[in-house]
Amino acid sequence: MDLDRSRRLLSTLLVAVFALWSVTAQELGLPSAPNSVKFAVIGDAGSGDPPQYDLANQMTRFHAKFPFDRVIMLGDNIYGGQGPQDLVRKFSQPYKALLDSGVKFYASLGNHDDPVNSRYPLWNMGGAMYYSHATKNVRFFALDSNQVDQKELAWLENALKSSQEEWKICYFHHPLYSDGGTHGSSVDVRVLFEPLFVTYGVNVVFAGHDHIYERITPQKGIYHFVEGASGQLRKGDTRRSAMTAAAFDQDLSFMLVEIEGNQLAFQAISRTGTTVDSGTIQRQVRPAR
Amino acid sequence: MTRHDTSSTHARPGQTPATPSRQRLIALRVSGFVLDYLLALPLGCAAALIWANTLPDGYFRFANATSFWVNDVGIVFFFALITKEVAEATLPGGALHPWRRAALPVAAAIGSVVVSIACYLAFVHNAGEHMLEGGWLAACAIDIPGTYIIARLIFGRHPAVPFLLLLAISADAIGLAGVAVVHPVGDAQPAIGFGLMAVAVGSAAALRHRGIKNFWLYLVGPGTLSWWALFVGGVHPALALVPIVPFFPHGLRDRGLLVEPAPRAHDTLTLFERWWRLPVEGVLFLFGLVNAGVPFHGLEAGMWAIPIGAVGRPIGIVAAAGVAIAAGLHLPHRVGWREVVVVACTATIGLVFALFFATAVMPPGPILLEMKMGALLTIAGGGLAFVVARLLRVGRFAQTRPSAT
Repeated sequence: MDLDRSRRLLSTLLVAVFALWSVTAQELGLPSAPNSVKFAVIGDAGSGDPPQYDLANQMTRFHAKFPFDRVIMLGDNIYGGQGPQDLVRKFSQPYKALLDSGVKFYASLGNHDDPVNSRYPLWNMGGAMYYSHATKNVRFFALDSNQVDQKELAWLENALKSSQEEWKICYFHHPLYSDGGTHGSSVDVRVLFEPLFVTYGVNVVFAGHDHIYERITPQKGIYHFVEGASGQLRKGDTRRSAMTAAAFDQDLSFMLVEIEGNQLAFQAISRTGTTVDSGTIQRQVRPAR
Repeated sequence: MTRHDTSSTHARPGQTPATPSRQRLIALRVSGFVLDYLLALPLGCAAALIWANTLPDGYFRFANATSFWVNDVGIVFFFALITKEVAEATLPGGALHPWRRAALPVAAAIGSVVVSIACYLAFVHNAGEHMLEGGWLAACAIDIPGTYIIARLIFGRHPAVPFLLLLAISADAIGLAGVAVVHPVGDAQPAIGFGLMAVAVGSAAALRHRGIKNFWLYLVGPGTLSWWALFVGGVHPALALVPIVPFFPHGLRDRGLLVEPAPRAHDTLTLFERWWRLPVEGVLFLFGLVNAGVPFHGLEAGMWAIPIGAVGRPIGIVAAAGVAIAAGLHLPHRVGWREVVVVACTATIGLVFALFFATAVMPPGPILLEMKMGALLTIAGGGLAFVVARLLRVGRFAQTRPSAT
């Protein structure tokens, strides 16, 4: 009898611990200060499959606690067919609740996207393959990593040079650094973008392409995140290396980011709402030329 | 029933092609230019592939720093040597003399270009690789020296070889014209470019009229002006010497496309080829080194776009040749439909020309890498040509059972 009671007690305790862990794991880990910059990050999202919808619902749940006003999209926003019906099934339908709440999506395009969709109004690209947008002390640079011509590099240099915001955040599809086993680092793009990022004081870079979440240890003073698992997943694809700070490749994920003053807080969240990585970044003090 | 053009001067019945050793190729009277190509380009490509997959940072920095000097300047002389072959082919005894002889290959080239591009676009659309749509012109590239080597190994000296070369030259000319129109370079100023080109061509004609035989004068004056005209006009400057080389004084007769010049020949075109052969060997090595470096990991399905365009090419060639013959054109002497099929399969090799077209139509980045890998994969077209030639018992494989053609 004592043994049975002990077993029941242990089971109850385990359930309680799991429930507590679930609740805390699904909690928002960001300060959510009233005047901070809040945004979400998704990449390789547009499968149109149920897991994408699950993740979008999770984003909506977190939006209630953390009212981000923009989502940056890291490319491969639509897989397969790219017609109007596909844009509904793979974008406007899953994110309907967020769109209805006034959240704006700012896209960059991946190798599976149709360049024609740079004119899709809900992606706010204005028909351009690269552009910038800003809020408060943060300027975002959405870049085209598929085809990096001299015009884009000249535009980027000029835009970075003239940017007055404290935070400079670049995002695009192909990661400059990644431990994804399928693709890995896009070195051909790195040699084109990175010198400008370093010269003009870019703080954080977001990219997708590899269908995992990964935080990279700072490279040349710049923080790099890979978030390519918001609709497609390559389970177990991470090949950890010395540059892996954190990684998650067991489920779909998205990121929430908050910037206030010189501090950036981030939280990576899985499809089930579990926090898979979080932390804060202090703005790098580098003299921008 | 197949009708034949009996005016061909390239027939030499009974000659058996040799194994691909340098000595045997020399025995085939293949030009040193082709032999250099055979040596320099694969070396450059191999070095690039090794470098890009072991020290990619250094490789891509090097490739970015040197691509202009190789792809926009150095390769000018490779195209000049190709133009020299075409210019000589218009002389008596040449494959393009008289011009009407080129009618069937040109018709076949049109079919080749149309079907290659259609297959390319169909693939990128169905595979969801939409970013590659802008690279469709690269699908029509046919490698001239590469196809020539394979054709000589299969056919020896046979009218099918100049037929293939004319087809390849025509397809590439159509593609290059398309590149000039669809993908202008930089901020194009066509009016200024056109004016400069008129001066360049005029001055080349004046040099020729005055009997100037020193090719350096043609290169330094009209050649430089032509390069600048194309650059300003928004056309790829790699073609700068294409309108100038035909003005070089030349011999009276052509010995054949891509055939070693006569030892005693001292006309300007021949001297030009002799002087530039070695530097162009270096250029081809650098071209392979700068353009062929593709990391093996992480390539997407888009790398198959150019090979699939190439695989569709034989259908276009055979169909267009069929239409042209139905319209009254003639196949060359000793070229039957089985030879046409083998020629069409040989034309699937894109290699250098596909690499060049890819870099001309697509800016650096992962999409270009996929296209480059596709261009390299078309080398398999050589194997395809041998297999089909063996199956159809054509050329060197005709010995076991004589061809009905």
